[in-house]
Amino acid sequence: MSLVELQGIKKFFDDVRAVDGIELEIENGEFLVILGPSGCGKTTLMRMIAGLEKPTAGQIFIGGENVTALPPRKRGVSMVFQSYALYPHMNVFNNIAFPLKAQSREKKYDKRAIRDKVENTARLLEIDMLLDRRPRQLSGGQRQRVAIARAMVTQPAVLLLDEPLSNLDAKLRANARDELKEFQRSSNITAVFVTHDQIEAMGLGDRIVVMSHGKIQQIGTPQLIYDDPANEFVATFLGSPSMNILRSDAFSFGFRPETFLPKTLADNPENSRIFHYYVKRVEYLGSDRLLYGYVHGHDNELTLAKVPSNVRVSLDVDCDYEFAVHNSDIKFFDKRSGQRIEQQNLQGVV
Amino acid sequence: MALLIWILHNFWSLLVLSFATLVGLRIAYRFRRYGATRAELSHILRRSPFYLVVLIFCFFAAAPFLIMFLHSFKVDGDLYRRPQPFVFRQDPTLEHLESLFTNTAYLDFIRNSVVVGVAVVIITLILALPAAYALARLTGRWGERAGILMFLVYLVPPTLLFIPMFRIVVMLGLKDSPLALIVVYPSFTVPFSMWLLQGFFKAVPPELEEAALVDGYNRVEAFLRVVLPLSLPGIISTIVFTFTLTLHEFIYALVFITNTSRRTLSVGVPTELILGDVYFWQPLLAAALIIAIPVGFAYNLFLDSLVQGFTMGAVKG
Repeated sequence: MSLVELQGIKKFFDDVRAVDGIELEIENGEFLVILGPSGCGKTTLMRMIAGLEKPTAGQIFIGGENVTALPPRKRGVSMVFQSYALYPHMNVFNNIAFPLKAQSREKKYDKRAIRDKVENTARLLEIDMLLDRRPRQLSGGQRQRVAIARAMVTQPAVLLLDEPLSNLDAKLRANARDELKEFQRSSNITAVFVTHDQIEAMGLGDRIVVMSHGKIQQIGTPQLIYDDPANEFVATFLGSPSMNILRSDAFSFGFRPETFLPKTLADNPENSRIFHYYVKRVEYLGSDRLLYGYVHGHDNELTLAKVPSNVRVSLDVDCDYEFAVHNSDIKFFDKRSGQRIEQQNLQGVV
Repeated sequence: MALLIWILHNFWSLLVLSFATLVGLRIAYRFRRYGATRAELSHILRRSPFYLVVLIFCFFAAAPFLIMFLHSFKVDGDLYRRPQPFVFRQDPTLEHLESLFTNTAYLDFIRNSVVVGVAVVIITLILALPAAYALARLTGRWGERAGILMFLVYLVPPTLLFIPMFRIVVMLGLKDSPLALIVVYPSFTVPFSMWLLQGFFKAVPPELEEAALVDGYNRVEAFLRVVLPLSLPGIISTIVFTFTLTLHEFIYALVFITNTSRRTLSVGVPTELILGDVYFWQPLLAAALIIAIPVGFAYNLFLDSLVQGFTMGAVKG
């Protein structure tokens, strides 16, 4: 039995289908990332797990118990908000102790037990020297840790995180990502992490749920989702720069820019597809060269190639080259629905 | 007493002297801090016209209160002989002040006003806090319209309402009792306070409440523990405003209560100290000034958050 189960969850705001039929199981101890562009319903979905929104239809189970009608406080979840939502009128200690004080009515923590728990959690997150400060006296990274400490201190069944890294500057973010993952692994807590940032999703997630237009597009490990996208949306949403998609009369097909290399560099040319590639522009990005150009026969579809800089092949603007993609790196999609389809014959298409 | 008389006699010289001392101390402080240099001197000279203008405007603002203050101590002969508001031509006297407290029910008025004011503030808060919170948060499309509708009640003037209200008061058997005012005043203080509080509640991010909900509290607790402390400045300014609304209300207080010792300040002072066309100026001015000073201080303390409350409602409303 999975820890969290969502069955046929729907949420409509007037006529807008924010979440439109979600089936999802979250396993104990896993780090699940919900990834999607803004407005895809991922935050609404998380708010429904937390109990802050009531689903229009469907049921939510946490630990085997149907919690669909329960208020947030009876669900055993805690949440880190995008803005952290620290209480500005309390110092850090009281912020972290706030959920414990709520529980203390039933579980009878005394003052000492609360103090011990707060201090332990604070030490774990290395904010124990900040306990007397007010939230506005803290930096962005410190606030984020306080928010996580407040969410963790009650040892919830599920920790929900709503884009907690998006308010940090880029330098801190990589560091915070690493610490968050380390922390989740060591405490073995189940985490659901909502983000629109694919790097965060790939780096943190044990599994990724890709969402768009209120529906799940694909669920899988980061590698599966990247290498084996279920449809055109997932294929183009992940990866930077995103997958090249070319259209033929019968179907679409795509390949990632980093698999699109000069023919001389291809591992085994006999298993590769050769394209005639016209280079329009070259961007030198340090570790890579990013080529903008067109594949012969697809003059309206901008195609990118990402060639490592350490490969000493001269690639000049306004020239034609032979580029190759390994057959297994070419993905085929249905032209209408965008779903993945079987390998098609490319003969005569390019 | 003698000291007070002496101070009043030399009022202007003392005022100018204390002002000059303050300016002198300020200049001395700057000299010690920055050195008595040419630059510092020219700085002081450059700034002095600005402060002069400020001083003039301050005088304009304060003049009515100064006149009220000085007149309260004048003997009749000095007051009525060719008006000369700022100087004593005859010895100042305390007799009018004494008569205000001994010959009129001024202390009763103050007590009644405070009792009515405090009771109305409490009733208003009990009704307006949940109403304002509901309007600020738990609304669909109709919330805003309901709020505007309720505010419209405030715009119906008491001059239209006092006759029907009087009948209600008589029916309830509350005529001639401060209870009548306590019952009727919330009819205009509640809509107003609600509108004001709504602005403050809207300024508290909803995420903070949601955090409290997830942290294990219900909505009432989240309101009491998170929203209320964060909008405390707004609540205090609402209290001040409600209190002054009850303090200067005239028509209801005049109509509902005829027994002198049960009247409130706004009615009691003018009816006791204006007899026909005879104005007892000195006690009248003293009575007004004594109550104006604490209220003025309270207003000044919370003026900023008061204005903030109005504009917050306006911008985000």
